[in-house]
This record gives sequence, structure tokens and C-alpha cells, in this order.
Amino acid sequence: MRTVLETEGLVCPFPVMEAEEAMADLEIGDELVIAFDCTQGTQSLPAWAADNGYTVTEFAKTGEASWSITVRK
Amino acid sequence: MIFTGLLVGGVLGLVLQRGRFCITGAFRDLWVSGSWRWMTAFLLAVAVQAVGVTLLTATGAITPEVPTLSVVATAVGSLLFGVGIVLAGGCATGTYYRAGEGLVGSWFALIAYAVTAAVSKTGVLAPVTTWVKGLWPTQLTTIPAAFGLPDWVGVLVLVAGVAGLVRWQLRLAADRPVPLQLAAQRTGLNHLLFERAWNPLVTGVLVGLVAIVAWPASWATGRHDGLGITTPSSNLVGWLVTGDADRLDWGVMLVLGILLGSHLSARASGEFRVRVPSATVIRRSIAGGLLMGVGAAWAGGCSIGNALVQTSLLSWQGWTALVFQVLGVGITAYFTLIRPRNQRRAAREAASSPSGRANGTRAASPVAAR
Repeated sequence: MRTVLETEGLVCPFPVMEAEEAMADLEIGDELVIAFDCTQGTQSLPAWAADNGYTVTEFAKTGEASWSITVRK
Repeated sequence: MIFTGLLVGGVLGLVLQRGRFCITGAFRDLWVSGSWRWMTAFLLAVAVQAVGVTLLTATGAITPEVPTLSVVATAVGSLLFGVGIVLAGGCATGTYYRAGEGLVGSWFALIAYAVTAAVSKTGVLAPVTTWVKGLWPTQLTTIPAAFGLPDWVGVLVLVAGVAGLVRWQLRLAADRPVPLQLAAQRTGLNHLLFERAWNPLVTGVLVGLVAIVAWPASWATGRHDGLGITTPSSNLVGWLVTGDADRLDWGVMLVLGILLGSHLSARASGEFRVRVPSATVIRRSIAGGLLMGVGAAWAGGCSIGNALVQTSLLSWQGWTALVFQVLGVGITAYFTLIRPRNQRRAAREAASSPSGRANGTRAASPVAAR
């Protein structure tokens, strides 16, 4: 299952905290797509995934100061 | 000659923006996720600068003077500053570089911070600042001096401690590599500077190097200090409202340089966009900026002047400020982030318990799968 989480407009650490919340409701193997525009998130979201042992399956710049990262639980 | 401030500030703005160097995040992660990743990078910047300043002092290029510790002003001011930077979503430099990235919340925080710093340092609240500073004055300058040791001994201890932290973080990083890299669309220097994700430790070293260069560059203009944000911000406001050109010194050029450098760097890397936050965030940003201005004026420095620069001089003021800034960040992080998170977790668990399931309040399986 793929869930999309829009966090545009939120600055760090809120994209990470929202992602943490969303992840809690997912099953192992599910994917979470996180859209964000906080520059710092390009560092903190992959770091959060690594710290929790989640796999990053996709990481892309989607526009001016906009990114999307997909994390598998 | 003060234009070297613009140059040093510009490079610092680039490093902060591209490196995502956030001191608020470094202090906050200690409490929120128990991570020392960014705190290590920050302390690495302090250690690198300490070595540089010791060498510059030994050659006679600079002769830094360490302020005496005023206990109440430094402790309470730094605590308020710590509370402020969480509310504002960025410390002194963090607010400058996010303003350069187009975050409107940081514009509000920056204006509130600079104006309040000016009000507290040279404006109507200056007598309050003087009063607080006189509450518990001491003759303490550097920590090694208090133990009758030369300062370089303190530098060695600092370097050894930070080396231990770096080793620990490198081991952690090897165990769980962070998938930072986006697909490359650029080449050469353009890719390295404006596209590639920077390693936090490399960013920390670069910040330390810029902090070293700031010393002789500033010294040459008669401003006997290293990096600084609060006094320069206060002087910038002072110059703008009085037209008194004496206030337009190397430090003012430095902060303008940070704004310009981070803006150009964000533009060059496709990371600039004007982002307007909610009313709640704007209100918090202003409240944070106000606390930052008062706190830094009382403490005699902010996350840069005290936590980055005075710590590298091994001063009591710097290290006391660092401890109380981290405490202020921790207290605010508890009320705004950690407690709400714990409450959500408890609610989720209650919903997944048998009674919660019977009530049909929430699907239980995702939580059970954790």
C-alpha cells in the first residue's frame, strides 16, 4: 500500500514528526510518500529513515524548493 | 576593508544554506530523538575554530579578549534565547539563512530579533540589560585560567573530546548509511556546490574554517572580534534608523553577507521560494524573535557569539551560554514537540487496546504491526 503525506508549508522538525505519525499507522512493507518543501528536510528525512531502519525507495526534487521522498516500512 | 565582511558572510551563507547547518536542530535533536549527529558537527566547528584561534593568537595576528562571566545575565538570557530559537524555528544564523531561502516566518523572526536586540542593547531597555548584567558578576574569564592552566591545555581537551564524538558518529553512520543523494543533473563544481547533499561533519569543519578566517578579517578593520550576529544585527537596525555611519562596521557587512549568500545559494540550487506560513507560525516566529533579541543581549551573545565563538575561546560565558541554550531548547521542545507526541502515542495505544477496538474508535492492526 502507498500512502501520500503532504507536508508543504511545514518547517523542520514537523515534516519528520508528521512522517513518524503516518508511519505508525502503516503495515510492514507499506510505502509512505512524503512531499515537503523544507530545505532542511532533504537532510533530516533521509536521516530519520536511516535511524529507523526504513528503506528509501525514491528521492526526487519535484520543483523549486520542493521534494518527494518515498520510505518503505 | 569592511567589505571583506560581506565576502565572509556570503561564504558562510552558502555553507549554512547548502549544508543545512541548523544549531536549533542540533540542540533539539538531543532531546527529541537522542541524536548527536548535528551536535557533533556543531562541536566540531567549535574545535576547529579553537585550534585556529590558538594558532592565530600564538603568531600575534590577533589578541582576543575574553569577557568576564556575569552569571544571571548569561544563564537567564541564554535560557530565554533557547526558548526563542525553538519558537522561531531557527537560531541567529538559522533565521538569517532561512530568510534568504524565502521563508516568510523567518522574515518576521529576523525583524523581531534584530529590533529587540537593538532595543535591549542600546534602546529603551538598555538599563534593564545593564541591571541584569550587574546581578552576579564574576572575574571568571577562561575555564583553563580558573584552574591555573594555559588555554592550549583546554584546547587539547576539547579537541580530544570532539574527536571521540566524531569517531562515535562515524561508526553510527557506517552502521546505518543515510541515503542522502538525489539523482545528479549537474556536473563539476556546480554539482558539488549547488546540488550534492553535504555531509554534516564536512559542513561543521567548513563553518569552523569560516569562523577562523573571520578573526583576522574583522581584526584588520578594527573590530576586535570573530563571527557575531546579535551586536551586528543591533547595529544594522541602529544604522538604519539613525543614519549614523559609525555603526556600519564589519559585523553589519557580515550579517548582510549571510542573507545575500544564502539567498544566492538557494537561487543557484533551485531552493528559493517565498513560503508563507500559517498565522500560528507567524505568531510563534515573532514571539521567538523577541525572546532571542532580549536573551542574546542579556547573555552577551547568541548561538554564534557565545555558543560557537566564545566556546572556542574556552570562556566561562560561552560554555555557560551553551548549556543554558540547550536547556531552553529542551524545555520548549518538551512542551511543543515531545509531550504532544507522547500524548498521540498514548491515544493510539488506547485506541488499539481491546476496549478501544470494541468501541470501534480506530483500526488496531497498523499499531499492532509495530
